[in-house]
Amino acid sequence: QGSEDPQRTALLLRKAWTLYSVTPLYRFGRGRLRDYARLLGAFIAAERQKGLAVEVGVELDIKVALSSLPELRGSEQDQPAVLVQLSSRSRASPKNSEDKILWSGCFCCVCGDDLSENMPEDFTCLPLFLANGAECYMSVVGNWFQQTFDCVFRRLAISPFNLSWMVAMWTGCKVDKAASAVELVFSVPCLPQPLDISYAIHPEDAKALWDIIQKTPGEITQEEVDVFMDCLYSHFHRHFKIRLSATKLVKVSTAIASAHCDGIVKMLHSQYLSGVLMLLTELAISQIQ
Amino acid sequence: MDETVAEYIRRTVLKIPRDEIKMMLQKWGFLSEAQLQTLNFHQLKDNISQEVVQLCEENSADIKQAAVLDIIYNHIYQNKRMWSVYHMRKTGEELEYFDLTDFRKKFKRRLQSALKNVTVTFQEYEDNAIWIRVAWGTPHRQPNQYKPSYVVYHPQTPYVFVSASVLKSNLPLLCQALIVASNYHDIREMELRGHSLNSLKDIVFNRYSHNFQTYCPKPQQASTVEPESADLRIINENRGEKERIQRLNQEGFGDGPQPILQFAQYKLETMFKSRPEMDVLDKKEPFRCLVKFSSPHLLESLKSLVPAGMADAPLSPLLTCIPQKARNYFRIRDKKGLPPESFVSP
Repeated sequence: QGSEDPQRTALLLRKAWTLYSVTPLYRFGRGRLRDYARLLGAFIAAERQKGLAVEVGVELDIKVALSSLPELRGSEQDQPAVLVQLSSRSRASPKNSEDKILWSGCFCCVCGDDLSENMPEDFTCLPLFLANGAECYMSVVGNWFQQTFDCVFRRLAISPFNLSWMVAMWTGCKVDKAASAVELVFSVPCLPQPLDISYAIHPEDAKALWDIIQKTPGEITQEEVDVFMDCLYSHFHRHFKIRLSATKLVKVSTAIASAHCDGIVKMLHSQYLSGVLMLLTELAISQIQ
Repeated sequence: MDETVAEYIRRTVLKIPRDEIKMMLQKWGFLSEAQLQTLNFHQLKDNISQEVVQLCEENSADIKQAAVLDIIYNHIYQNKRMWSVYHMRKTGEELEYFDLTDFRKKFKRRLQSALKNVTVTFQEYEDNAIWIRVAWGTPHRQPNQYKPSYVVYHPQTPYVFVSASVLKSNLPLLCQALIVASNYHDIREMELRGHSLNSLKDIVFNRYSHNFQTYCPKPQQASTVEPESADLRIINENRGEKERIQRLNQEGFGDGPQPILQFAQYKLETMFKSRPEMDVLDKKEPFRCLVKFSSPHLLESLKSLVPAGMADAPLSPLLTCIPQKARNYFRIRDKKGLPPESFVSP
């Protein structure tokens, strides 16, 4: 078991991550991370010569680092996560200057047995990819991995159905200190004038409602999620006569994490980090299969 | 010319879109027509602003004149700012004659005696609006010209519209100066905020169309239900229902154009009531929520929810009362001793 290194996993917290699903990587060698970093670095430099992967204001050399995050996995069957970081390094850097991280990406797999079970040996399963930073870097890094390991990256959207699961699940999580509100954001874009509705519930009251609905601790059923959402919708309808179920749920936010339907997630609580990643791994796997 | 003034003018000109610079400088009137002719408006804005600063140098501009240019910019781009509305009250009913000179003197004096360093600028407009710009300093520091507050006051009304800067600590002093200068004895902030200054004025001055059923300039036909198909065999079977819904919807918001608001916020402190078939929460404590509606044109957006099938007709009075109550911030609690369907907003 890798030792819990809170510093390393902490870098996943409080950042907005764009989600992708990744098909298994062919002939990915975990011992070759240094080589890959070098090759990716060269690829990026070549692309930048062509005028691609250029971010306004960044003139300097880009350094690539690949590392393993063994603590980021659900079970022994899971592949340890792989972190990719792009940083800028000045050509004539003063001794005390720090590299500035331009972009981060993380391949991970938390309880991905559904996918890795019958996978041939040459393939490495890391179905969930998290990206943070300018899109131009994602593009070039994604291209390199796709070319090198014959895999496919796809943006992972989150449906209102899955967002409902997330908000119900995360509302039930116990948090010690004063938590932030449970917020649901709805969008009604097709009106002559678009409308956004933010519905934020005091976390204690939301949790109290969920606790009454959930029958077995540690287990959540579809029916329980439906009842929870129904309760929130009918309380809203009682006041405003508006049917939230006819609108589009686009974002949910709790003290544990927040998730947007475009596939953007922010994880806020270290204790529940792997729980959230497990859920996202499941979504990624459904998209691949 | 003071360097800080030069820099302030330069930055103010930079904010202006290129094809509006000439017009604004003309409105300002500080540079002569001859000087304006020498300006080349087809170069980089950076260069235009430098040239303007040079001309201002020739005329020895000071901060007072620079502040006027800033008011002109903000008057034209008033909707970029967030405005709050304040209501003033008098003890007696006497209609006093409004003396602008007296108002300006008292207002300025109140601020200067407290802070020593303030820049106060007045500008009057045709619609009887007085615009006041205040740049705030302290007894020991020069005013910060980059974070001024703007006040719009229509002298025959008890309403003041304020776009405060981030320096909220100056608000009490600002309020004090307003009532002293205008001879009111009390001022309070209303629960009404938005970007569209004219719409806020429409709401408090009652200048929008209300939902009066008696006065109806248009004929009583439902105008937006689809016309009958050319083939008489095809009828719209819900036509009656659609007309009923439209009528109810119109009763809520009225027929005419709505004032433009960007959001409405409701703090709900009502009980959670479960539906009879759900054996769920029947707590003694309120279910605390904060609901916020946002839209580029909120009232039109809400009005369109009913025909779109997303809301019941008539729309909830919590929403339709926004213009009449002149507020878009609400706190909703259950009415004690009355059926749970009635809400009260303090």
